[in-house]
Amino acid sequence: MGRYIVKRLIEGIITLWLITLAVFFILRLGGGNPIEYMLPPEASQADIDKLTQAYGFDKPLIHQYWIFNKKLLRGDLGDALAWDKRPTIDVVWDRIPATFQLATASMLFAVVLGVVIGAVSASRPDSLFDRVGRITAIVGQSMPVFWVGLLLILLFSVYLGWLPSAGGIDRLGWKGIIMPALSLGFFLVASHMRIVRSTMLEVLESDYIKMVRAKGLPTRMVIWKHAFKNASIPVFTLFFVNFAALISGAVVTETIFAWPGIGRLLVDSLILRDYPTTQTVIFFAAAFIVFINIMVDVMYAWLDPRIRVV
Amino acid sequence: MLSSSDSNAELAVDQLTDTRDVLPTLSQRLRDVFRGAPKFSLFFLAVALMCTLFAPYIAPYSPVSTSPANILQPPNLSAHWLGTDNQGRDILSRLIYGAQTSVKVGVFSVLLAATAGTLIGLVSGVFGGWIDRILMRITDMFLALPYLMVALTAVSLLGASVLNVILVIGLLRWMGFARVLRGEVLKLIEMDFIRLALVAGSSRTRIMMKHVFPNIINTLLVLSTLEIGLAVIVESSLSFLGLGVPRPMPSWGSMLRDSQQYIYLTWWFPVIPGIAITLLVMSANLTGDWLRDRLDPTRRQL
Repeated sequence: MGRYIVKRLIEGIITLWLITLAVFFILRLGGGNPIEYMLPPEASQADIDKLTQAYGFDKPLIHQYWIFNKKLLRGDLGDALAWDKRPTIDVVWDRIPATFQLATASMLFAVVLGVVIGAVSASRPDSLFDRVGRITAIVGQSMPVFWVGLLLILLFSVYLGWLPSAGGIDRLGWKGIIMPALSLGFFLVASHMRIVRSTMLEVLESDYIKMVRAKGLPTRMVIWKHAFKNASIPVFTLFFVNFAALISGAVVTETIFAWPGIGRLLVDSLILRDYPTTQTVIFFAAAFIVFINIMVDVMYAWLDPRIRVV
Repeated sequence: MLSSSDSNAELAVDQLTDTRDVLPTLSQRLRDVFRGAPKFSLFFLAVALMCTLFAPYIAPYSPVSTSPANILQPPNLSAHWLGTDNQGRDILSRLIYGAQTSVKVGVFSVLLAATAGTLIGLVSGVFGGWIDRILMRITDMFLALPYLMVALTAVSLLGASVLNVILVIGLLRWMGFARVLRGEVLKLIEMDFIRLALVAGSSRTRIMMKHVFPNIINTLLVLSTLEIGLAVIVESSLSFLGLGVPRPMPSWGSMLRDSQQYIYLTWWFPVIPGIAITLLVMSANLTGDWLRDRLDPTRRQL
């Protein structure tokens, strides 16, 4: 088991390093000297030259990448061009709690609602509830996150006037997180529901459930005590996989609701042409995804020893 | 002699008419092909395709000409069926032209992703060894990228255009194809007909193209259809964030971006383009589900 974890960690580090390579070159796709489009058009040539040298953009690409790697090993991802020129790691680090709050809240919403609807659907297949639930899931999975956000604003802010349309938990308290979390979690409700429903249906067909039923346990107990426990394993995986997917969705949600997380930081940095910060945001998001993947793999290996051999 | 051959011929003709009765007619065959098909989804996909090809002939107004006297008109049957936007442009016409953007991006980015993913999956599965290991490591790396963030960054650096959006989405979404198809190839490689081909002296490349590829086309088709919906959502997200298709060319995502500021004044402006996106994505997904059930029953979901 220890050896397996070490092996996965090493693979994860290699993946992360490959990501820095990819991001490094993606950010140079624009071609030319990045300083020129980071500075306002009226900047003098002397300013451009000064910054170009300071950031090492005058050196060949391979050399720049070498410097980048050396700095990376020291845990230095460069200084931001905007955001008071602070180290990008600090800038990103400040924004992580907000994204984490948002992701956790939407995940909670998605899991609770998805599991309940899915389990109830599976216990009464082809009932009206089941059919309405399945149609909602199909529609829900097809709605873009930002449109769900707009619809929620239309309903709760414009027509009902219950909730503020721009979030930020510091300014608005718990009320501020409701709509961002709902819109981000919405499509996950559908995916949780589908997987809970299908695994529950499978489990309910199994012999041990028939046995429990034959013993005369009430249906409620059969579903929640026996069937649900076994059906929850895929939900567990889905939970982690989706947590990583949420990071991508967060970009859109945070922009609509003015939520001060890393997704919004990325969009703002792109608009400000702050390229070191962009790089660091992507690096952090990727590191998070890699970490989650390793966790899932290790957990699987722990649950199912056959995997460790491969 | 003559009469017997005549009767033989008659017999043959009789049999012919018999088999003609047994053979399915064209309409029966069509009915069989489309058995269980999501009719509404196929219909909507056809409508979107017609809009893409013939937008100038269908759209009642120009999608870009503004009319300051007619801003934010609610839907009405006399002039603007779906109302007008903040610059007085006809929303229906912009929707019809916007279909062009969505369909183009959806189809061509998936074509690119499928081509890249299929090549990588095939080579990885057939050749195996260190080639497989390197390709799968690269695939893992791409899978760990927060793709919307990378797509935003890449499009903002390359410049917003339909072509760039297609390239970026295509190059960030091939991993699903590579992973699934590699698995499929690994299963096929173990089969007797591939071994026989090897024994008969076929090269790996020949086996890959002649024997393995035809057997993964069904899966490829299913994956492609399901991936189109996602590509449409990514394109509209990029346009919504102001980094997709440049203005004033209409895209459903950028229409929603424009509507954000007017959400307190109008309901139709933020609602209608979203319905269009949802319908297109849902149609692609349902068609993909149907194709999967027809072509690839092992992947059927409950």
